[in-house]
Amino acid sequence: MTRDEIKDLILEIIEDIDEDADFDALQADKPLRDQLDLDSMDFLDIVMELRKRHKLQIPEEDYPQLATLDSCVNYLEPLLTDA
Amino acid sequence: MHVPFLIIGGGLSGLAAALRFARFLPDVLLLEKHSRVGGLNSYYYRNNRLFETGLHAITNYAPAEIKNAPLNRLLRQLKIKRRELDLHQQIGSEVRFMGRESLLFSNDFGLLDTEIASKFPGSYNRWQHLLQLIEEYDPFRPAPFLSAKKVLRETLADNLLTDMLLCPLMYYGSSLENDMDLGQFVIMFRAIFLEGMFRPGGTIKDILDLLLSHYQAHGGKIRTKAAVSRIISSGKRVQGVVLTSGEEISCDYLLSTIGSEETFALLHKPCPLESLPRLGFVETIFELRPETSLPRSENRTIIFYNTTATFSYQQPQTLVDFNSGVICLPQNFQDLSPSPFKEVRTTHLASYEQWHTLGDGQSAYNSAKEDTALASREVAEKILGNFAENIVYRDTFTPLTIERFTAKKQGAIYGNPVKIKDGDIGYNNLFLAGTDQGFLGIVGAMLSGVSIVNQHILPRL
Repeated sequence: MTRDEIKDLILEIIEDIDEDADFDALQADKPLRDQLDLDSMDFLDIVMELRKRHKLQIPEEDYPQLATLDSCVNYLEPLLTDA
Repeated sequence: MHVPFLIIGGGLSGLAAALRFARFLPDVLLLEKHSRVGGLNSYYYRNNRLFETGLHAITNYAPAEIKNAPLNRLLRQLKIKRRELDLHQQIGSEVRFMGRESLLFSNDFGLLDTEIASKFPGSYNRWQHLLQLIEEYDPFRPAPFLSAKKVLRETLADNLLTDMLLCPLMYYGSSLENDMDLGQFVIMFRAIFLEGMFRPGGTIKDILDLLLSHYQAHGGKIRTKAAVSRIISSGKRVQGVVLTSGEEISCDYLLSTIGSEETFALLHKPCPLESLPRLGFVETIFELRPETSLPRSENRTIIFYNTTATFSYQQPQTLVDFNSGVICLPQNFQDLSPSPFKEVRTTHLASYEQWHTLGDGQSAYNSAKEDTALASREVAEKILGNFAENIVYRDTFTPLTIERFTAKKQGAIYGNPVKIKDGDIGYNNLFLAGTDQGFLGIVGAMLSGVSIVNQHILPRL
């Protein structure tokens, strides 16, 4: 997957969690949770969806690496090279 | 048979836990002892119609735009759309301390605030301090027990107002006699006063069917009439369960929603928790002719009443304590379709011991049930106006009835007074959710199931 595809994947998962999520003003280097009103329970959905869709096992200690859109892409890029 | 994830108990916490898990992995089996799911909030058929058990009103009403409200968080977690629920808000409820004071409240918090300003003007500034304390308090942070009654009495300096605020919160969720933990108080205050109450347009069956259909659509499996006789464990690990039929089911993770003591009993282990008195209740349903008018009810949804100088919330020495209780009028929610019947439902504190002594099904027990229904009707008529002549059907549940159908020890609907907030009962792969985890009410029970799955099971898979 390219970086843009990974970004789209994350946004698609978030839209699936909250269909009213507003991405227009989203800043890629700022925490997703603060900008989108996501709580830790919603956040777990991102992890679980990545597992379901791409068989990715993300250990709990790596969850902080998914904090912003940019950090998601950085973290997932090497894991999704063949996806 | 082996399943990765096994759940004991098909009440609302078990159903929600099962659905939450099945959304990501379908390898989950839910075991329910009875022929029907729902646990405390279920239904039965009599007199050619469906009667709900448990449900008066669902707390935690929130409009869709408040995304972090418990109701909306829950729906997102379960991937259920709000429109699938058909929500109807309460018309308005009341705390009535007879001969003393009355407080009205609704899903608009301004009503309660105005009531307190006009009826307790000397306490209004102190009331504002209490609201600030509630806003700033984090009830989910682990903390030792703090007496809500003490904090309220100190903050409000008014024992009547303290009792009037505690009465509905205790009746709708306290397993503890005469007090609540401050954290529990804050959760209940938000759920009932700051958020509010609603019910489905249909019945609890619609909610249970909705949860089951989503769960089964994800591939989740359920077995009813499947009672567990034993949990197999060695050290801090459980291997699975044995059903009363003798069948063994092994699992990687086990979630028990049946209560803490009830779970330790299945493990054949002594329960390490302190044993405090459990609170039993009696409930009577009066089905009334649809044309019955209850002029003094003023379309109230719920009335929490008390007749004594000091409100007491404890196990009575007698069969039933009629000095306080809850009267629910389930037809009084906004925009419900016209129904072919009306109902009055009453709830009072009751003594499990006393009912148990009479013996389930014996003639003394049956006549005590009759007497309870009559005494409860008399109390309700003082508040609502007379309706005796319009009763077409009535039914009374004692603590024994509740114990028999819900398997809650001593019929104590709010479970063990000692709560295990993190669901950890000392095992590596067995966790507790539901009533004894500490989230109460229908939304609370479901969030309990969801949060224990989120916290202990999904991240480890």
